[in-house]
Order: sequence, then structure tokens, then C-alpha cells
Amino acid sequence: MDGWVGKILRVDLTTGNCTEEDLDLGLAKKFVGGSGLGTKILYDEIDPNIDALSPENKLIFATGPLTGTGAICGSRYMVITKSPLTDCVTSSNSGGYFGPELKFAGYDMIIFEGKAPEPIYLTVFDHQVELRSAKHLWGKDVPEVEKCIRSEASSPWEAEGTKILSIGQAGENLVKMSCIMNDTTRALGRSGVGAVMGSKNLKAVAVRGRKGVRVYDSQGFKDEMHAFLKDMQEVESIGWKARFNFGTWVIIQAMVNMRMLPTRNFQAGIIEGVPTPPEMREQILVKERSCFSCPFAGGRGSRITDPEFEGEGEGPEHESYTMLGPNCGITDLAAVTKASYICNEKGMDTISTGSTIACTMELYERGYIPEKDVPFPIRFGDKYAMVKLVEMMATREGIGDLLAEGSYRLAEHYGQPDVSMTVKKHEMPALHPQGYQGLALSYSTSNRGACHTKCNMVFGKRFEVEGTAELVKKGQDYTALLDAAGACWSIYSATRYLDDHLVRALETCTGAGYTKEVAMRTGERIYNLQRLFNLRAGITGNDDTLPRRILETPLLDGDNEGKVVMLGKMLPEYYQLRGWDKSGVPTPGKLEELGLTEEGGLLWQK
Amino acid sequence: MAKIKIDHRKCTGCRLCEMACSLQHVENTFQPSRSRIRVFVHENLYFPVIAGPYTEAACNLQHVTMVDGQEFDACIFCRASCPVKPIFKEPDTGIPLKCDFCGEPPDPQCVSVCMNEALVLVEEEENKPQEKAG
Repeated sequence: MDGWVGKILRVDLTTGNCTEEDLDLGLAKKFVGGSGLGTKILYDEIDPNIDALSPENKLIFATGPLTGTGAICGSRYMVITKSPLTDCVTSSNSGGYFGPELKFAGYDMIIFEGKAPEPIYLTVFDHQVELRSAKHLWGKDVPEVEKCIRSEASSPWEAEGTKILSIGQAGENLVKMSCIMNDTTRALGRSGVGAVMGSKNLKAVAVRGRKGVRVYDSQGFKDEMHAFLKDMQEVESIGWKARFNFGTWVIIQAMVNMRMLPTRNFQAGIIEGVPTPPEMREQILVKERSCFSCPFAGGRGSRITDPEFEGEGEGPEHESYTMLGPNCGITDLAAVTKASYICNEKGMDTISTGSTIACTMELYERGYIPEKDVPFPIRFGDKYAMVKLVEMMATREGIGDLLAEGSYRLAEHYGQPDVSMTVKKHEMPALHPQGYQGLALSYSTSNRGACHTKCNMVFGKRFEVEGTAELVKKGQDYTALLDAAGACWSIYSATRYLDDHLVRALETCTGAGYTKEVAMRTGERIYNLQRLFNLRAGITGNDDTLPRRILETPLLDGDNEGKVVMLGKMLPEYYQLRGWDKSGVPTPGKLEELGLTEEGGLLWQK
Repeated sequence: MAKIKIDHRKCTGCRLCEMACSLQHVENTFQPSRSRIRVFVHENLYFPVIAGPYTEAACNLQHVTMVDGQEFDACIFCRASCPVKPIFKEPDTGIPLKCDFCGEPPDPQCVSVCMNEALVLVEEEENKPQEKAG
């Protein structure tokens, strides 16, 4: 078997049974791996209507065939589960070193099911699998957990070679935007996957392996690696130097230039005082950091020297800075970086955390939150309140308990659901959709709720409606493919140029017959399967929408002036192109074409 | 004589060198445990180490090396494959691994994928006489 290592580890947390299963190669070819194969297994094995935090939910960590190979920027892994925040199927993606190490330990995938009677963690060392008590780890934050597990190693090499994923206090406390962290600062970030892990009493997974990953066509694969590296040096739009020097901070600058920087809970698209990428580099950067097999090194090892917010860690990335910063009316880099560090340590998604705090600020300023509910005034621009609220959310202290449910449930609690900037209860990320029609369509239709990583970023003209639906459909199918393969969205979707590289890497890796057409069809199959899961979970076409403000209230600045999202025009065309009926349900013909007839049958079975 | 010059400050920890090395030396396979170069990752510091000669005896001294203000066990950076050091040995057979510059003439695959120039192939003349000042 090439690309895939051919084994799945299934862990029943209720009984403590760990079993090894053979990977079904036919299914692997059809759904690739990562979010594709993970969704297929989840679809087959759980009832989509279960409570996401019940033992019936499953938590699947899945690599792609490219993970653990030298595919450039192709070594990511995903977690697939039913989200407690959205009730949709979710697939959160992370880099670092954990995914490749799982393959070197001999597994494509780990499936967790049930619920452990008390806190435990799993170790996987070269096919040797063991569940250990995590009582001493419970209550600890992410860096402490990793340190503790490493201290149990017998030598410095063993300690160094062990790659760990874990939840912080937020996951333990079932915070609905808690994430799962790996390699201390990398996150399986969105949709509350940390809470699912917490609900299973699973604190961490440690892996170490000495096995290898075979590829089908060694010379072809190597040629593809070098072709990518050559393009990376020669094609400016790939943006190597900018990414190396400034990481995702270049996106902050782009959003400032386009007046698309979500500000004060998406009420505006710009704020004064945002530091430029060179200023950020000067103020906080310590070291450019790579993920496995990624020469771009866009990760930001950073340090804050400001005594008020002192600390050391990684980031903030564009999303973290914007959502905890400008979207809360704050530009102070030290405060925002500190808040981002706390999110990493406690294990919380910075996007949903920032957006929920912004929502709280708007609710408070508009008088919807009574004074008796808040320990201090919560106003836009108050950096101290923002940092404090992040901590309160992780521990569910005071009003933090309500914020930990996400902005939709918070706003609904105070009778103002329209103040929540969410799609399918999933907070919108740090690219203002009113500045980009295609982006808005992708947010509204995304299978996990509003998300920037589930569609390609190349959308043609910003305000053009015609042709947008087709670009979004293609972008979503392509993104589903790269999530399944193990490739990095940030690199592979930033320019049109890289899809040929992805398909060549995938084919030379697996030899499974992935031409460009087959690969894109595979992406479409995965996207439709996720849609089927959501429909069965009761998420329908009525949920393919955007917050009322985005659809009705024009922005007032720059090119975006007067613009609202023309969703009513784009959505019917999008459904038609997808082969879905008017209510957004895939037609039997479309499902047959994609080889999903059997899966579709479950939709009509009640 | 060809040498690979390492600048650990330029290394960002992508480990592509390990991948290129293992594909070169193991048929159709990416397997860092069999690579003759390994990158040790320590927070903001990355140390590529290239496999040197095998030695039958372990050191009986403990050395501590200071790098950028932090103390490290020098054993970590030692290039030798020795009885107490588990890396730079074939995981299944224990046979020592040693960098061979990917053949003759030298064409080290690790260098070919190192985009940030942490690894550079340099020519150094053997027994080059000291140049006199003036």
C-alpha cells in the first residue's frame, strides 16, 4: 500500500479495548483520507442526530496519504466529529509534527468512541498502544501536559521524538469553542472539537514511531517536490518571501487595504492603529517556524516584553489578531498577543472566542445585558476586559459560562440572535464578507458553518455576482480534496497555480489513478457527503444564510461603501450548479453520479 | 573535499532534509528514523545534525553546550553513532548510519531541498596551508 500505511486504530474508551483494523483500500481511494475518509466513517457509524457531547459521538483523528511524506506543505492531519457548537459534521485541520508521527507509528487514523470512566490518555509507540491514567494531567494547561508526558520518557531522544496532542482546561470544561492543540501551539481549531475530547475524558494522545510511508512512484514524487520548490522560488504569487518574513500578517495588511478587516463585531471594515507586518515583526517576532515538510515557515515564534502582558509563545496569526483585536475594537498588539497565548494554553479557538467577546461588547453597549450580569463594563476597545473574558470563558467563571456556549447561544439568551455574527452558529472568520461576494457565498454554504478554510481564496472580482457560484463550488470541491489529502489550505488555496502540484503529488504518492478530473470529482463527493450528514442532522438550506446585518446593512467605507451581500441572487445558481434541488438537497441523480446513492438513501429513511 | 555547512539559526524545523535523505537511501519510502540527518526541535531552536562515523565506545564524560543562552546535553548534537545513542542506527537491525553525501560526486539531497540555506554544500581543500597575513 502506497501513501496510506494501511491500519486504523480503534479505541473504545468505555471498555478500554484498543483494536487494529485494516484500511479498506477501495474506500480510501474513493474518499482519500483526512476529512474525506473521516466523514465517511463518521457517516456510517453514528446517528447524526445524537448529542455531540454524548458517548455516542466519535472522535476521528485522520491523516491523508500525503501526510508524513516529503510532499511540500502536505503533512497535515484532521479531526472529524459532530460539532457541539454547530451540530454539523466538522473537520478541523492542524499542522505541526503530530500527523506525520502518527503515520510513522503505523496508523492512518485513530477512532475514539465511547467515554472513559475517568481521565485517561493514549500512547502509541510503534504499534504499541496503551491507555494510561491522566488524573495527574487533568486541570493542566496544554504546555504543562506536554511537559509532564515528556518527563516520563526514558531518554532525551524519546522525549523529543514524542509528539503530543491534548486539550487544555477549555476542553475539559466543555467550552463550545475549545480546540485540540498539538506540538504546544498548533490547533485543530474550530467547531468545539476540544469539548468532544473533554466529554470523553480523553486528555491527550502521545505518538512516536520509526516506521516509514511508502510512495508509489519514487522518482515522479521527487520530481514533483522539486518542481514545487522551483515554482516557490520563481512564482511571485506563491508569496514565499512574504510568508517567511511576515507569515499571515500580510493578510491583515491586505484586509486593511481592502477595508475588509472585521471591526467592532463586523459593524465596520477598518479601524485606525493596526500595526503593519514589519512593525509586528519588529515588536514580537522571535523565530520563523515551520510545520513538517513546509519550507515557508510562516509560523511565528513570538515574545511580549510589555510587563502588563508579558509572555512567550506563538502567533498571533491574522485570524487571532483580527478577531481578538480590531473586531473587539482593540489594536494593541501586546494585549491581543497575550489573549492569543491564553487561548493556546487553555485550548480555545481564537476566532470564535474573539467573535463571542465582540458580540458581548455590542450586547452590553446596546443595553441588552443587564449590569447585574457583568463583573465589569464590557465595552469595545477595552483590552483589559477582553483578556479577562478569555480567561473567564476557559474556566466558565461568571458570565464566562454563558460566553463559553458561543455567540449565538449568548445572543439568543439575551433575545438578540441577530447580534451574533455566525452562520450555522459558527462564528465568521476575520475576512469581512461584505467586501467579497464569493467569500460571503462560501461562508453561507460551508458545511461546518462560516469558515474561510473550506473554499479556495481565488474568487475573481470582489463585487461581481455573475459566475461567482461556479467559482465557489469549484473552490469548495478543491478544498475538500486538499483537506482529505493532507495538504495545507493556506498554501495550496492561495493561488490557482498549485492545484496541478497537488494532484501530481497525490497520484505519484498513491498510484490510485487520481487525474485532475478524478481528484476534483472526489472533492465534490466528499463535499456532498458532508452535506448529507448535515441534512440528516436537521441542518437545511434555510441555514445557508448570513447574519441579517451582512445582508441588509451596507458598510460605509472604501470600495465596500453601500455594499451588502447579494445572497438571494447567488444561492439558487449555486444550488443548481451543485445538482441540488431548490431547498438545497442533493438530487438522487447527482448522488448516483458521485457514487453516493447508498449514503443518500439514509437521508430519506426516517 | 565537500562538506555540508550547517547554520542552525537559519533552520526553521521543516525536516524536509530528513525526508529527502530517507527517500534517497530507502527504496520508495519516507522514513525519518532511517535518515542520516535529523533535526532536533527545541522551542525556538532547531538543530540539524548529520550522521558521522560509528564509534564502539561511548563517552564517559557529560558535556553541556550553551546555545543561545540555553543549556543542552552535547550528546544531542554529537554526530557519532555510538552504543548509547539510539539515533543514526537502522531501527530494525541497529546497523550504524553515516552520511555518504549521496554518492560521488557529492549531491546531498538534504541540501537540495533546504530552501532557507541552513544546509549548504561547500568545497574545502584538505590540508590547506594557512595563508600568511600581509
